[in-house]
Amino acid sequence: MNENSAMNVEITGLTRRFGSATAVAGVDLRAGPGVFGLLGPNGAGKTTLLRMMATAVSPTSGQLRLLGRDPAGYGPRREIRRRLGYLPQNPGYYPGFTVTEFVEYFALLKEVPAGTVRQAVATAIDRVGLADRRKHRLRTLSGGMLRRACIAQAIVNEPELVLFDEPTAGLDPQQRVTFRALLRELGQHATVVVSTHLVEDVGAACAEVALMDRGRIVFQGTPDELMACADGQAAGDTPLERGYTAALDRAQS
Amino acid sequence: MNTPAMTATGQATATRLATAARLLRLYAASRRTPSALAAIAGCAIALRVALLGHWDAYGALQLPLVIETAAATVVAATVASPFGEPERVCGRWLPFLRLAATVALTVTATSALVIAAATGGHLAGGTLDVIRNVAGITGLGLLCAATLGGGLSWTGPTAYLLPGVYALYTQWHGPALTTPWLWPARPPHDLGGALCAGLVFAAGLAVITMRGARDRPGDGE
Amino acid sequence: MIAVTRMLRLELRHNAMALMVPVVVVLFWFTTYRRVMAMPPLWNLRAADLQMYSVVDFVTPLTGAAAWMGSRESRRRLADAVLITPRARWARLLATWAATTIWALVAYVGCVAVVYGMTAGQVAGGGPLWWPAAVAAASLPAFTALGFAAGVLAPTRLTAPVTAIVAFFVLVLSTELIGHNGHSYWQIAPIVSVAWNTGSNPGVATFYPYLPDLSIAQVMFLAGVAVTLLGTLALVGESRAVRAAAGGVTAAGLAAAATAVLLVGTSAMDPHGMMRIPALHDAANDRPVQFTPVCSHAAIPVCLNPAYSAYLASTTAALEPVLNEIAGLPGAPARILQEAATYRVDSRDGEEVRPTEGNTNGEAVYHLLLPVQMLGPTLTTAQTASQVKWTDGPDIVANFIGAGPGASQAQNAVAAALTMVLGRVSADPNLRADLNGEAPGGPGPSELGGLIRGTAAQSAAERFAALPAQTRRAWLASHLAALRAGQITLSQLP
Repeated sequence: MNENSAMNVEITGLTRRFGSATAVAGVDLRAGPGVFGLLGPNGAGKTTLLRMMATAVSPTSGQLRLLGRDPAGYGPRREIRRRLGYLPQNPGYYPGFTVTEFVEYFALLKEVPAGTVRQAVATAIDRVGLADRRKHRLRTLSGGMLRRACIAQAIVNEPELVLFDEPTAGLDPQQRVTFRALLRELGQHATVVVSTHLVEDVGAACAEVALMDRGRIVFQGTPDELMACADGQAAGDTPLERGYTAALDRAQS
Repeated sequence: MNTPAMTATGQATATRLATAARLLRLYAASRRTPSALAAIAGCAIALRVALLGHWDAYGALQLPLVIETAAATVVAATVASPFGEPERVCGRWLPFLRLAATVALTVTATSALVIAAATGGHLAGGTLDVIRNVAGITGLGLLCAATLGGGLSWTGPTAYLLPGVYALYTQWHGPALTTPWLWPARPPHDLGGALCAGLVFAAGLAVITMRGARDRPGDGE
Repeated sequence: MIAVTRMLRLELRHNAMALMVPVVVVLFWFTTYRRVMAMPPLWNLRAADLQMYSVVDFVTPLTGAAAWMGSRESRRRLADAVLITPRARWARLLATWAATTIWALVAYVGCVAVVYGMTAGQVAGGGPLWWPAAVAAASLPAFTALGFAAGVLAPTRLTAPVTAIVAFFVLVLSTELIGHNGHSYWQIAPIVSVAWNTGSNPGVATFYPYLPDLSIAQVMFLAGVAVTLLGTLALVGESRAVRAAAGGVTAAGLAAAATAVLLVGTSAMDPHGMMRIPALHDAANDRPVQFTPVCSHAAIPVCLNPAYSAYLASTTAALEPVLNEIAGLPGAPARILQEAATYRVDSRDGEEVRPTEGNTNGEAVYHLLLPVQMLGPTLTTAQTASQVKWTDGPDIVANFIGAGPGASQAQNAVAAALTMVLGRVSADPNLRADLNGEAPGGPGPSELGGLIRGTAAQSAAERFAALPAQTRRAWLASHLAALRAGQITLSQLP
């Protein structure tokens, strides 16, 4: 837990525009240790919000503090990045690298202390269940295994702030269960923000969830509170889906 | 006298033609053909500007060869598919599209260079030289695209440029390299060089038509 | 440091340049190795051509491969993932560029080692010239930096081929733009290894040291270019301090490159055929190289600079007939000694080569300039010998007899006769059978001393040439002084 602040993510009025399009429009958000889910339809601004939290893009306006620091400055941003893990929606990779080399490469980029790199890499690969494939080249892995390798690179530096964008895409049900367990484990010591379409992932792992629509947060609360939003006419196969649909309908009406 | 059946047939034909044209246009757009055409135009302008200068004996042949190689590389670079497998399994039109687009671009590149040279400059090797060189080197690029992937289609033409330029140099500073496989160094009317270049172009075109450029996993656009 | 080493190791293992090495080696063998090794075993020739051809062989494909590596993060959709890591962008990119360049240098050093190693086994004198190899080596980081920067800044599918072809184009264009201007700034191109108008010249860097002036300027330029291009990569996305340092480094690189170009503009060919840049010139390089000549074992030995020892046997054989005629006679040269050539630019901006010292009558030493020291096409050993035979042979005779314009008819006739002894109508395949035809490389007897076929002088020359060698020698021994004094008439010739 961050000694300086219980909140690892503090966002106030955050806005991001791309030309005339506003992807994120005045978002307020606070998140401490634990798993925080981010739901929303396509184009809601989830990925853009996540990329701002990952310091990949800078906000157009508003305030952003991550791990008690303002990422606008070079020094604070570099410090944040040392303690940050990020899995993009469409992760890339070098096909010729082995799993170990790929995770090691990111460990080195994240300035993991040189003496601990090897152990950190092995631990990260173990945690995603790829220990028996650590010497396999990435081009030989299935889609799900590739995503797990990418998850490994995101957690190799034991981050205090972990951002996952669609982390379970391509994972089979058993692997998704394992991944949710990993999320809960990470959430004990870090702030984990998960952006996903899969409502059941949010329900199973997240202590808190926010629903975004058209660049704004239209709901923030616990999964139970989201479920309670459902009325009898909401669409969905599960209570959480119905709650999601109802909250969205309300926001869009 | 137009019967309803004939009118319907005519409309169906018109619709098919319009659809085919649209498919061709979309295919061309997916292969960045407008950018390729701009690059080919740039090559033609470069050739025209280069021909303003007075070049010595083998320089007058080497300089156009460099630009011809650039144009051929551009043509070969367009065969890479941004879609991969989803496109491959789509249906029977893909080979025709590949064939038509590649031939059209090759002809366009050759014509652009010939026209640029004809606007006042003196092209030492003449039109036949341009056709042979562009076709042959394009064939090399197509073969590279088929084996190494569209992103690496440039490796063959670029590597071939060096022995090609060197072979031209040896025509003045012997011993001369006279193998027809180094067709840039052969006289424009030489049948052997034309056959070799044609063979390479035909082989590249055939492979690309049937198989397309190799898809490389993890390759972004 | 450990982290940097690890990153470099990862990059070396997965660098596309490693796949390009076999391609480059094949190109090197096809264009450079075969050509260079076919040249006479002279360091000056082979090193100069090695620089020129290897730069072209390596630069073009390696620039493209470097551009490919520079665009890697974008092509593999890793831009965001690596962007949000704390490791400085310039450090990350530098590791990739360094690995790319290391592979290129490894391939180059291997190729040069083969050529230099084999040449060392063939050359009889002189040591390897390292500056041409150094310039070519310095061009690799510069051009990989060019390609890499282009790939980083413009990661499109056309960047790699365009940069490769543009790099090649600029190299070729630079040689065209030099023209006949000995002060041309384009001589900064690493493809230029010698005075461009003279080309690869076996006459330079043997009697006098190789002048590194142009090479130093070229290395300075290439280093400046590399530093500038790499520095620009750190101008974006870094801390203020790093950007300031990058700005300084970039400016320094630009300054170095610009200075080098300006220095080359002050260059001029020196009397020893090499490019001299006053600001970079070391006067110690103007002193001749000390050497012990290699000499034939003959009555009048032929002595050559050890670098040209491959020509000793053929040169001796070429001059043997005339040397045997005059050996031991008063006024005959004690030895034939090769001398250095003097180069100068003539009034038409061309170059000409002259002997450093003129051949004066009656000197104990005859100063020889081998044809390979003159400008012109590369000659075989046989062609060289033939040229020596028909240029220096008659010259030696003329000096010995005192023949030439102003000499007596008898002197010119005797000189012509001794020249005929060289074997004008022999089986030498380089000669034409026609007596009145010009021998390759030298004037014919019909032009020597103004002799015209069918004249009394020509007849006297033929009579004298037809005498047995002993008779000619005996007559010369007793009549040489009078002949040189012009006191012998045609009718007094045997």
